[in-house]
Amino acid sequence: MNIEILYLFLLPALTGILIFLLGRKSRLLSEGIAVLGSAVTFLISCHILTQTTRGEILTLFREELRMDALSGLMAGLIAFLGLIAVIYSIPYIRKEVEEGVIRPERIRSYYGWIMMFLASMLWATTTNNIIMLWVIIEATTLASVILVAFYWNRDALEAGYKYAMLLTVGITFALFGCVLLYAGASPYIPSGLDPLKITEIAKVAGKIPKSIALLSVILLLVGFGTKAGIVPFHTWLPDAHAEAPTPISALLSGVMIKVGIYALIRTVLILYPFHSIISPLVLVLGIITMVVGVLMMFLQEDMKRFLAFCSVASIGYIIMGLGLGTYLGIYGGIFHLLNHSLMKALAFLSVGGVIYSTRQRRVPDLGGLGRLMPLTGLTFYVAALALGGVPFFNGFMSEFTLFLAGVKAGYLWATIIAIIVAILSLAAFIHIAYRVFMGSLPQNLDENQIKEVPVAMWGGMLILALLCVLIGVYPQIVYPILNEATKAVFSMMPAP
Amino acid sequence: MEELAKLIFTISLSLIITSYLVIELRNLRYSAYAYILQALLMCSLFVIFARQNPGLYYWALTAFVTKVVIIPYLLLRYIRRTTNQEFPPLIGHLGSIILISIIVVIFYGVTHQYVEFIAPTPSATQEPFRTNLAVSLTIFIMGLYCILVRRDAIKAVHGLLILENGVHLSLVSLAPLLRETAIIGIVTDVVIAVYLLLYVIFGVYEKFGSTDTFQLKGLRW
Repeated sequence: MNIEILYLFLLPALTGILIFLLGRKSRLLSEGIAVLGSAVTFLISCHILTQTTRGEILTLFREELRMDALSGLMAGLIAFLGLIAVIYSIPYIRKEVEEGVIRPERIRSYYGWIMMFLASMLWATTTNNIIMLWVIIEATTLASVILVAFYWNRDALEAGYKYAMLLTVGITFALFGCVLLYAGASPYIPSGLDPLKITEIAKVAGKIPKSIALLSVILLLVGFGTKAGIVPFHTWLPDAHAEAPTPISALLSGVMIKVGIYALIRTVLILYPFHSIISPLVLVLGIITMVVGVLMMFLQEDMKRFLAFCSVASIGYIIMGLGLGTYLGIYGGIFHLLNHSLMKALAFLSVGGVIYSTRQRRVPDLGGLGRLMPLTGLTFYVAALALGGVPFFNGFMSEFTLFLAGVKAGYLWATIIAIIVAILSLAAFIHIAYRVFMGSLPQNLDENQIKEVPVAMWGGMLILALLCVLIGVYPQIVYPILNEATKAVFSMMPAP
Repeated sequence: MEELAKLIFTISLSLIITSYLVIELRNLRYSAYAYILQALLMCSLFVIFARQNPGLYYWALTAFVTKVVIIPYLLLRYIRRTTNQEFPPLIGHLGSIILISIIVVIFYGVTHQYVEFIAPTPSATQEPFRTNLAVSLTIFIMGLYCILVRRDAIKAVHGLLILENGVHLSLVSLAPLLRETAIIGIVTDVVIAVYLLLYVIFGVYEKFGSTDTFQLKGLRW
């Protein structure tokens, strides 16, 4: 009985409800409850992560809820970025209220939904029930629809509509996939055991008829792949990431799309040992995703859309790692998942800083900001170098792991493409960073009005930047977590 | 027993016909009424199957509350607040009916013929489960067709509902022993998704002056 699993998602959910009930009274109350709730949730996630990193498996309600090292890592990431995003939101949203972008009474809704969004993502990492996994993954979409369309203007509504419609349709395919997997496995699960449990399905995965297994893999790749932003199901991603308030963009890119990958790991990877065609299929999807993502980066003039397409490319790396199917490949995939969460959240929050100070996000309208916003400039450069895969930054470490894994697995062509994508992505970042932070200030910006962001914003950015460098210089620090998480993935993949 | 099989076959066929109506009726309110009819037929089908598997009574009850009561209420409420008439689609009545008919004939024929590929147990390949699976997959594809080809956002929600009905119908054959908690979870998600979609579509209607999805092209590349 590990009751802390329940607290992990119930606490932010109750915090959200409390904000909806009491937040009307004062703005400060909404902010205070959200910070407190996310801080305590973060502490609970740290407690869980410590236990799962030791190799312990936490369970509750007869394994209905189950957390291994991969779940612990995901929960830690979600709670950590959630806390940073909530604190960052305080000055960010206050300024938008002052400028009339958001109506004051909507602050309650913002913090209420952000806590529900965090709760749903945390819940997704705890379930061991294949149908509930689908239910909760869909819940993460539903909890974030209002946040994506939060500005309620034409662009935000367009993004919100596409987000809700495409993800709901996509995820319906995953429901079919989950049902097929359950139906295919249940005749082989001994009576008395629960056929809905992913751990039970994994044990008999080899007995699921081939046609059912392959069809469910395709449906799951479409369904959860839409959530993860895999090409060609990624079309919602740039719109939603760009139009949501920036702290929400950081959460969408930092953790929400990873929840889609988490669901893929839990459902598709258990079939790897029995059907050799699945892992190359996943690998090819990963390569296509990274190539499309990086090419689209060069076409963007909007900084948030640029980062959104960079997320597509990065998802390609993670999927490539999973597609290799080897220990090193999956280790590299999970490593990149962790790194990408940190560096992409940092990139979005830095761009949020630029928007906060200038109200501009199109690259042609920006320039010379490094002098006026040194901290934001510094953190954006750290994010850019990390995302570009420069040595001594965390992105390099995970990308290099993936390259090694690719060569070792015999996929030289995939590795070469991945290296080219990394070089192109670095070039795109240098180009953008130079145009925004170097050079001279454009005429549309007033030098006297541009100031560095407040501590509640740069504090979180600095912590993320330090982590990007720390993991880049000393990657052993995360080895125990990643090693246990990779072992947890393999423990669900029985030998054929 | 043969009477029962005939009844199941007739209801299944009616589900395809009601899908046609939901997709092809240009008046959104009538389209919603066709959806209610389809939901009622689904509930009765669940009740018939529940005679063999009592667990399906839960499915029937949950489907009735959500698909016959809550979702139509939401649909009709938002249709009243926006517009009754569907934004004209690209493909006219005749073309659309011909196209769907081709899809239905091919898809139903293929799935009914090769149901073994997705049937988890030998009993699921026997009638009436064989027809049930073929019908549910056909309805699923019809829903997808509606979402892909119609310009009106509320009509796309109708398409989504047909799509969901297709999946839910397949549970009769694929997962008849699904627990109530899972069933409630699935339908709750659908209800909330429909509510949020309609809420956002209402915002679109207010800002754009119509529910035409072709106007949602501001964000490209």
